[in-house]
Amino acid sequence: MNNSFPRLIDGMCATLRREVLTRLDDEFARGQVFGVINLLNTFKVRANWSAGFLLQQIEAQQRALEGAAAAAQRASLSAPSATRMNKADPGAGAMSIEALLERRDANNREIGTWLEWLDAKSVELPAGAAQTIEQLLRAAMRAEIDLELKNSPRPLFAEMSSGREE
Amino acid sequence: MSAIGDETTLRPKIAAYLEREVGHPVEVGPIRRFAVGFSWLTFSVPVSHIEIPGEGGKGEQTRDLILRLGPDYGLFAPYSAMPEMLAMRSLEGSAVPVPRAYWGGDDESIFGAPFLFCEKVEGDAVVPWVSAGEPQLEEGYRKRLAEQFIDALGALHRVPWREKPIAELERGAAEAITVENAARHNVEHWEAQIARWAMRPYPLAEWGIRWLKANCPVAPRVAIVHGDYRTGNFLEKGGDITAILDWELVHLGDPHEDLGWVSLPMYKGGTPYIGRLAEPEWFYRRYGEQAGYTVDMESVRYYQAFSLLKLAATHMAAARCFEEGRFNDMRMPAMGSQIATCLKQMEKTIDAAGATKSGKHRATGASAS
Repeated sequence: MNNSFPRLIDGMCATLRREVLTRLDDEFARGQVFGVINLLNTFKVRANWSAGFLLQQIEAQQRALEGAAAAAQRASLSAPSATRMNKADPGAGAMSIEALLERRDANNREIGTWLEWLDAKSVELPAGAAQTIEQLLRAAMRAEIDLELKNSPRPLFAEMSSGREE
Repeated sequence: MSAIGDETTLRPKIAAYLEREVGHPVEVGPIRRFAVGFSWLTFSVPVSHIEIPGEGGKGEQTRDLILRLGPDYGLFAPYSAMPEMLAMRSLEGSAVPVPRAYWGGDDESIFGAPFLFCEKVEGDAVVPWVSAGEPQLEEGYRKRLAEQFIDALGALHRVPWREKPIAELERGAAEAITVENAARHNVEHWEAQIARWAMRPYPLAEWGIRWLKANCPVAPRVAIVHGDYRTGNFLEKGGDITAILDWELVHLGDPHEDLGWVSLPMYKGGTPYIGRLAEPEWFYRRYGEQAGYTVDMESVRYYQAFSLLKLAATHMAAARCFEEGRFNDMRMPAMGSQIATCLKQMEKTIDAAGATKSGKHRATGASAS
């Protein structure tokens, strides 16, 4: 999910037209490729990334950010300002995919701010609080990565580099 | 490709350039682009009647040259041909097999991009990736390649580079590379690449950068670092390595950096061997003997973590190049889908390195700031 859904569809259609059809002589096979292009274009207007996938990532982020803010408060330190701003946001469940992607990225920026804050406050923060906050942030970062991996097929690098399927 | 043109428009430009360089007429045949790489474009250029200084060979015989062009739309563009050319010239006559570099430069008025002409070397690439069910390399062949692969890396890292053309990389640099600052320089370089190419924030990458900055090792020496030394980037013919290729990431630094990169799990091809070729313990022992220093496994682990960050950065750049329409190559978003894999592996490597770290080699003044 590092590329946008419509761009991937456009790229696939362009590759099929320019790189596959130009090298394919068989009439039936060419017809099949046009069928695939037709379906890809249908997906482009009807489908998008999964909201469920993003909601799980955002939930993990929110949990970590709220926990980090609470831990900072317990240590009598004010949290990075971005955390307080996010509390007024509408619920993620009602948001569009684009808004969810934006939210995920905003939360990730905020986690980055927290990492910076942890370094800056390393002297002031009690060791236990620093460790708690770091663990919370890392749990969110790990959850994002794990969800991506769980939803990724086995890469076909051997096939992509050789052009063959053993 | 607009500034560069296609194979047909390149051909007369190549002939004109070569004629200026060698001082006599040459004939350039149909050129062919290799479908490899995501950054530099590589062409095979058949040239007749060419006499290359120091090589002779003028006559009717046609010889193939390799032309590399660094387009402004590739991964991590803009490029310079100078590091690769200086490295290849520095290694001429050494125990590192490299193609001979003939001409090159960054003047885009000639071909529309930085360029490099070099010798075409015979051989095939052994790829690091294997598909399910694909047989592994035959034992004798694997070991023979492994020995040469290790010895070439050891030889590279003991090149007295200060006496070679590559020393030019130091001139004009804001700060000379030292055993103390080599790691920090590298981390800062890739941090800047991530800032430039990532399409969204990756806090795990930021966390990794902080760890890398706070744990910089001291290098055993400053050496020529290939930067992409792995299976897939050498040619072999009949079990002999004929050339180490792809020098575009060459720089001066800690030789452990190449050890970290070559030993990445992504290049093991489903085997326990470094680069599908060598048992790790034997690899490090033989390499250390060849390079003339004792390999520090803490530094290797540090550079494995660094290499995973660098690989993640490469995938981030691939995703952006595709998203911006610089390429339609579908392998690029496929690479982009591997960012999570690299970052996950990086985190595990850092956790393991942190658990075993003695702290004895940390560079003074290194900090996470």
